[in-house]
Amino acid sequence: MPEELFYYLLFPNHHEGLKLYNALKEAGVGCTITPTPRFASRFCGIALRVRGDLLEAVRGVIADSGVRVEGVVPDNRER
Amino acid sequence: MADYRQMWSDLGMDLEKHDLLCEALPGAFSGVFLSQENRPERMNYFNFVVAEIHGVRPAELVEHKQKGGKVFGTFCVYVPDEVIIAAGAIATGLCGGSEFWVPGGERVLPANTCPLIKASVGARLDRTCPFFRLADVYIGETTCDGKKKAWEILNQDVPVYVMDLPQMKRQGSLETWASQIRRLLTRVEEITGNRVTPEALASSIRLVNDKRRALARLYAARKSDPVPISGRDALLVSQIAFYDDPARFTAQTSALCDELEQRVAGGTGAFPKGVPRILITGSPMAIPNWKLHHIVETSGAAVVVEETCTGTRYFENLVDESGTSLEEQITALAERYLKINCACFTPNPGRIDDILRLVKEYRVDGVIDCNLKFCQLYSTESHLVQQALKDAGVPVLHLETDYSEQDAGQLQTRVQAFLEMLGR
Repeated sequence: MPEELFYYLLFPNHHEGLKLYNALKEAGVGCTITPTPRFASRFCGIALRVRGDLLEAVRGVIADSGVRVEGVVPDNRER
Repeated sequence: MADYRQMWSDLGMDLEKHDLLCEALPGAFSGVFLSQENRPERMNYFNFVVAEIHGVRPAELVEHKQKGGKVFGTFCVYVPDEVIIAAGAIATGLCGGSEFWVPGGERVLPANTCPLIKASVGARLDRTCPFFRLADVYIGETTCDGKKKAWEILNQDVPVYVMDLPQMKRQGSLETWASQIRRLLTRVEEITGNRVTPEALASSIRLVNDKRRALARLYAARKSDPVPISGRDALLVSQIAFYDDPARFTAQTSALCDELEQRVAGGTGAFPKGVPRILITGSPMAIPNWKLHHIVETSGAAVVVEETCTGTRYFENLVDESGTSLEEQITALAERYLKINCACFTPNPGRIDDILRLVKEYRVDGVIDCNLKFCQLYSTESHLVQQALKDAGVPVLHLETDYSEQDAGQLQTRVQAFLEMLGR
């Protein structure tokens, strides 16, 4: 079985990140709060890590919640 | 993404050097925490605190200072936060737990100083930690010779007030320590310009006791098999307790405990039932020092309790909340804090009693007694600790390490051999 691909969601500030975390939790879509990895952004702060197979569900929650997301970055590092 | 560079610049930080730390932290965190399976959902709050560790909380401290408030930095579980909080100030932990800060400390300290002291001094002098910049005054103590001399060096750069902790628990020690708390209270009043009233001190005693109760509940959940939370996650919670707003920390830890208790009821564990259960004792593990826990827990065992300053010494025993005068409250504080069994005391049989008690309470299969390199007190006390454990028939492994990764392979080999010997 191939290893899972993860995506990192980036935000303009932690308020937006927490808002989406709560919205995803409410919708039953799994995600993890993490520090933003350097390959995804040169700035610090929170990111949300989601599994690739949940990305479409995540996009739906983003659209419904109106949370500002600054980027969706795949973790393409060698695994 | 959140850009805290203006705040860091205003705090006089070395942005270029600090950026190297920002670059390294996510990878270190990910390797230790995101590699775990079946973590409690409520650990996301603590992930958040780490992700924003040099952002959200420092920004709160900046706001507090802009309103005229003071921030006191502390390095030891003997310093009573209650007194600081009762004067309307904020207490924040300052211990350095990263190799990143060690070279900065070595510029002014002997190389054979423990890494915790070197990292703490380096974080200040290198200007790479906002908490070290934000604290108006550092509260030191006399818990080891390395620290006592480090205060004098730090005092050239930032005011350091030192509490003189008795080194023996005998008649008169309690009154000596109470007098030190009284002196601290007076100094804190002078610095903040605020009077500490019995009402304010009663309130802060309850606030800090609530934090202790939440941590005690977290640890109680770890007595179960399967253990509902990994040692790495529990250590992270304890480390964050030193930095976070106390009321918010208590609320978030209590919510985590709700989840852990549900996991216990449902038989859900962070590890399979029956894995070897390890107690770690010795020197404190300041954030982001997750090294030994990670090695133990990726070698097939679970760390179920820490007899350290970032473990049970931090939260066991409550301050009596019934005092209504400052004198009664100061005595209650002195009584509670003097119950901490630190290796700076001679003799220190209470610590061995604690370890033997915890072995039973947490159904521990083996003890890892680990001290930081050049931590003379815990290194020397190890002889008596090992002797008592052997006499009690409890397997024990003594390790000495620092913050570097250079000995990780060697430590892993020794831990794995120890776990094999446990025969579980």
